[in-house]
Amino acid sequence: MTANPGHLTFWYTYNGFSENVLKAARKRFAADKFVPSQVSGDLTQRLLAALAGGAYLPDITMIGDNISRYFGDSDRFVNMNDHGARELAGGYLPWKWHAGATPDGFQLGFPIDIGPAALYYRHDIFEKAGLPSEPDDVAAAVPTWEKYFTFGERIRDKLPGRYLITDTKTVFTYSMAQERRKYFTPENTYLDDQSHVRLAWDRAVEAFGRRLTAGFGGSQTAGGQSVDRHAAWNTGQEVSLVNASWITGEIKQSAPGTAGKWRVCAPPGGPGNQGGSFLAITAACPDPQAAFDIISWLQNPANQAANYAEIGLFPSGPAAADDERITAPDPFFGGQSAVRVFADIADQVKYAYFSPWDITLSDTYTDELTNVELGGKDPERAWRDARNRIERLLRRQGVLS
Amino acid sequence: MTATSDLDTPATAVPRPPAEDAARRRRRWRHLPQYVAVSPFFILFAVFGLYPVFYSLYLSLQRWDGVGPMKFVGLENFRYLLTDSQFWDSIANTLIIWVMSTVPMTVLALLIALGLNSSVRFKGALRVAYFMPNVTSIVAMSLVFGSIFSGEFGILNWILDLFGLGHVPWLTDPWGIRCAIAIMIIWRWTGYNAIIFLAGLQALPTDVYEAARVDGASPVQTFFRITLPLLRPVLLFSLVMSAIGGLQIFTESQVLLGDRGGPGGAGLTMVLYFYGTAFADNDFGYGAAIAWGIFVVVVLFSILNWRLVQRPERGRVTTKEDAR
Repeated sequence: MTANPGHLTFWYTYNGFSENVLKAARKRFAADKFVPSQVSGDLTQRLLAALAGGAYLPDITMIGDNISRYFGDSDRFVNMNDHGARELAGGYLPWKWHAGATPDGFQLGFPIDIGPAALYYRHDIFEKAGLPSEPDDVAAAVPTWEKYFTFGERIRDKLPGRYLITDTKTVFTYSMAQERRKYFTPENTYLDDQSHVRLAWDRAVEAFGRRLTAGFGGSQTAGGQSVDRHAAWNTGQEVSLVNASWITGEIKQSAPGTAGKWRVCAPPGGPGNQGGSFLAITAACPDPQAAFDIISWLQNPANQAANYAEIGLFPSGPAAADDERITAPDPFFGGQSAVRVFADIADQVKYAYFSPWDITLSDTYTDELTNVELGGKDPERAWRDARNRIERLLRRQGVLS
Repeated sequence: MTATSDLDTPATAVPRPPAEDAARRRRRWRHLPQYVAVSPFFILFAVFGLYPVFYSLYLSLQRWDGVGPMKFVGLENFRYLLTDSQFWDSIANTLIIWVMSTVPMTVLALLIALGLNSSVRFKGALRVAYFMPNVTSIVAMSLVFGSIFSGEFGILNWILDLFGLGHVPWLTDPWGIRCAIAIMIIWRWTGYNAIIFLAGLQALPTDVYEAARVDGASPVQTFFRITLPLLRPVLLFSLVMSAIGGLQIFTESQVLLGDRGGPGGAGLTMVLYFYGTAFADNDFGYGAAIAWGIFVVVVLFSILNWRLVQRPERGRVTTKEDAR
């Protein structure tokens, strides 16, 4: 049973969809009685409750980057390949399209947005330090994390009291985002060899050891944003950060005084993606074809471009990323077209399986990194604690025997 | 509950004259309005209280991610719980924060109540002012406190700097975190308790004080020998209430530090751990097991409280009524 029989209900999160696009969709699909409904609070919890109860389900729902958690229960959803998804696949980034499909090819998710990660940096401060400051020059100067760290030390030598990057968590998270393998195989087998995780870990510890991280832990706003970090952006203490495109809005909003001083370029270590979302049709939907038609219209290039322009959701379709409305020079980035930089990175991202446990595992590692960074914990002990905790957790959940 | 026996009596056990039967039926119907009148509570309680309680017990024996089929794992979750250092840490954190908040809060509230009791001017305005924190949105409050305690750019550290006391890493150091949470609780509940204490103070018999004054007791003696012992029931009430609240500390931690309790998990309280496991990690079976672990802790605490309240009163003041 759906939430609203006779209608096509669409659940989306706060700031999860352009209201203008939805208004247009409501008019366009009036015959299908399309009803967008913004879920207050946590959409995942609402969806899980509805799925568990088998009632009040939406016809169409947004799903986050941990879409794989629904793969084992794909019978609760609609395979979009049965409704013409395959023909549209070419219009979207292949790795993102792939991420919405189960290992046996059931297309559960239709791509909304992605989170290509770039190096955000303060052009004025790099220039003041007498270092490369134009995007292409910076990208060429810091192709690897190692070079990036050395670069940061040179800035600090010239301009003391500044930090290269936010914290160990950022270094670890974006190092992992660049990996082809994360924690599990697509068949949900735990990767025993976690040497690439160890690499990301060591890199984070090294950044801390070389005093390049600010390490503003703890204090945060309701949305989980760091109060101290906002202040550091305003004062110019944080001179750069590697982050997915979705942070642009937060920087613009919390540090309006720094407009025109930021630039973006290819990040050290290679292209990577962090975050993004999908649309899915639940099996409760009486008319999946109509739902699919709405979805494919919502995610057409023009609407994806509107989604970026209005709420910063970076388009998963290259055609949308080429839309003139969003590729125009951005004064906040000194007239640079930030979208082109992100689109270039997104093009080079490779598929990596994001398992249902990835968020918890990543959080466990970054919790321990925070203990090293802020609590003075021995990195080796922290690593062992993280590994132990993860193995215990996976054993409890029956993933490891 | 005696009325239910009427309903349950088998009608066909012994043949009865029809008149008696009719009388019974009438009696049954006569009670119906009362049952209907009290039923909303019992129905709502059964649906939203009783059923979830038993369901969570059932859930604690399962492994469930919220979507797929549940898998029965027996007491596995509880076995894990007993050896889960995070759970034990969360109990310790909860108790530490509770003590750190309750002791200063009670003292402060008592002082405020004494002040309010003796002051003559602006009594009403002051009472409202002290009560305000209690009705302020806790989330809004946490945001404000987040800015106050912020390590690098917080107001509190700025003030400490002015006095040359240096930086305190409020939200990164384990004790800083617990302090910050305790201060938030103190800020929120001191006024509430002060009002309760004030009500208690105003109900104290004045003749005892008059007698003390005649006997030449100093204000300090009066306070410790008369006010405190007479206020004991009120103090116990406040202690029990703060224990109930203290074992459920959640929002302050969550809004200030996120679902994982901040660096070192120093702000990870029992309820926050339960919430994070069930609703952030979607590990509902284990979440339910943690909830039952919390239940056991609360029961132990209740027994402790009960013993405390039941203890024979010492140092009682003999009032006129008792003497008679």
